[in-house]
Amino acid sequence: MQYDKDYYSILGIPQTASEDEVRKAYRALAREHHPDSSEDPQTAEKFQELQEAYEVLSSPTQRQKYDHFRAQQGSDRSSAIHLRPVASHKTLLAMPEEQAYYVLLNIMPATDLPASRLPLNLCLVLDRSTSMQGMRLQQVKEATRQIIDSLQANDALSLVVFSDRAEVLLPAQSNIDKAMAKSIASTIQPSGGTEMLQGLLAGLQEIENTRSEDSVNHLILLTDGQTYGDEQGCLEEAQAAGRSQISLSTMGIGSDWNEDLLDQMAALSNGTSTYIDSPRKVVDIFKETVRSLGLVIARELVLSVNPSSGVRMHEAFQITPHIRRLDPQGNRIVLGPLGSDQGKAVLLEFRVEGLSSGQQRLMRITVEGDVPGQVDRRSWEWVELTAQVADTPDASADIPPPIVTALGKLAIFRMQEKAMADLEAGEISAATQRLETMATRLLNLGETDLARAALLEAGRLARTGDLSAEGRKKIRYGTRALSILPKEIPHD
Amino acid sequence: MIKCPFCGTAHVENTLFCSECGTYLLEDDRRGTDPLGTGEIGWVGSDEEGVAEASVQGSGPLAVRLRIGESGREIEVPLNKAIHLGRLDPASDVFPEIDLSEDGGLEKGVSRRHARILKREGTVVAEDLGSINGTFINGKRLAPYLPEALHDGDQLQLGKLLIEVELA
Repeated sequence: MQYDKDYYSILGIPQTASEDEVRKAYRALAREHHPDSSEDPQTAEKFQELQEAYEVLSSPTQRQKYDHFRAQQGSDRSSAIHLRPVASHKTLLAMPEEQAYYVLLNIMPATDLPASRLPLNLCLVLDRSTSMQGMRLQQVKEATRQIIDSLQANDALSLVVFSDRAEVLLPAQSNIDKAMAKSIASTIQPSGGTEMLQGLLAGLQEIENTRSEDSVNHLILLTDGQTYGDEQGCLEEAQAAGRSQISLSTMGIGSDWNEDLLDQMAALSNGTSTYIDSPRKVVDIFKETVRSLGLVIARELVLSVNPSSGVRMHEAFQITPHIRRLDPQGNRIVLGPLGSDQGKAVLLEFRVEGLSSGQQRLMRITVEGDVPGQVDRRSWEWVELTAQVADTPDASADIPPPIVTALGKLAIFRMQEKAMADLEAGEISAATQRLETMATRLLNLGETDLARAALLEAGRLARTGDLSAEGRKKIRYGTRALSILPKEIPHD
Repeated sequence: MIKCPFCGTAHVENTLFCSECGTYLLEDDRRGTDPLGTGEIGWVGSDEEGVAEASVQGSGPLAVRLRIGESGREIEVPLNKAIHLGRLDPASDVFPEIDLSEDGGLEKGVSRRHARILKREGTVVAEDLGSINGTFINGKRLAPYLPEALHDGDQLQLGKLLIEVELA
């Protein structure tokens, strides 16, 4: 057994993989790297490595020994990713019924990472339909020119515009001639309708052309209109992009665009969707997006939970940088890229049932990331959570304030989700009531503007049976941003 | 099983927030306000500072900004209708615009329906709503249900909870 070898990464499995997963991963790789299938001496070496990894990880006693040693070593090991869990309860009641258990997980980049910036592989996909005419397009061009100026030589950029069809204005390339690129951006003229899928396909193709092992692959899609008939295609492409580590920033300008679609596209690719309520904000939002891409240290974070029996994950949400519902695949959640300036906070809600008294292990949570700047680019850290299971409640135990704060904001986000679902189902009065309750909660948080918007829309809903396109977006994008910072009132 | 006191939805044990209406389920707000003891309530704010001159112009301020207690939590509320201050208690149907539960309201003797701030003929006034532990403006205790003018920079005190007032 060689402790300095990462057998898990050799088999391409997480620390938390089950025996079955170990076996399956080994079989698939062994078939691929079998010495009989190749003359290459490297293949034989690789095959031997695989066998060694499998021998250790498939034997429970050897694996335990290996894990134990690696964990001890872990205190010296410099992981690029740090985990700080906060659990709602240190003591759980021994009872037959199910109970809730929450974990707020702060995922932070190590502070002592070398400040090397990963190369960007960026594509701008811009709507140039007739409705973009004037201020909107003018600002988008300005934003594009400023982005071009901010790029470094090893960054790749491509530029795609779309209306009824897509056009590649600047094919993907690094070492850009900035003057030339900016003059190309200045030639964009408005005309035609909005067919998003065309633009998206062309943009993703450009990104594929210049992607590398280390690049941060990102597509910014900006639109101001509804696309018709190709929504399903857009979602499928977004999902495929996410799988090949291309995240999408989807941006809607004005109020006549489909927030459900842009939102889902961003979520499927672990990107962000943004509501741009005024053209004046385009430049800042573009610049901020590109700036934060430049700070990405881990290209893809994956969180996996290995629960003890009797413990199961119920729901998962990202709390910061903005609130969104996460979509666990079994016990695995893809979180997207991690920037050096900002950690992520994730709230996991569990159901616990049938634990016997005493100190009980509840779960192990592992976060892994692909950190190209590091010697060992596959960085990971894990934590074990335990609780005392007792027959009497611990009266002195308080719920940690960060959990209460996170859940309080999440509660508002979820009411928004439910109000929209009610509305979708034609339950006008239920939706109205929810918006009103939401306004009260917002008022308590000091979120006066958003509370006012919610009340206004509740009134409109009761009168007309629908929300305004603008109010709908304000509420959706406002509630998800609740988590960002404690509200500061600007002094005038 | 626990039940949300506001909407009645049932949740599994240890649930912290109602998923239907967002109510915090651990808050034991059905406790009444305890009198803090006679003679115990004095002015806890400073006497020297923060007493401002009245300056009411036109139709008066549009909003009031409150800086609450030790946390310094700030809330700005429009003055287009009366603002109630107290402690949220869905079980007894009390929904103040400004809920002081999280500011230590119970410990500091804030009643569920404690006071309100409203605009009357262009002047902002505060009114005690018959609270148990009283409402003070700059150290002066208000007679219950008798509104008094509130000025920019005034210090408002509910029970022992101090609130700084700014008019905008």
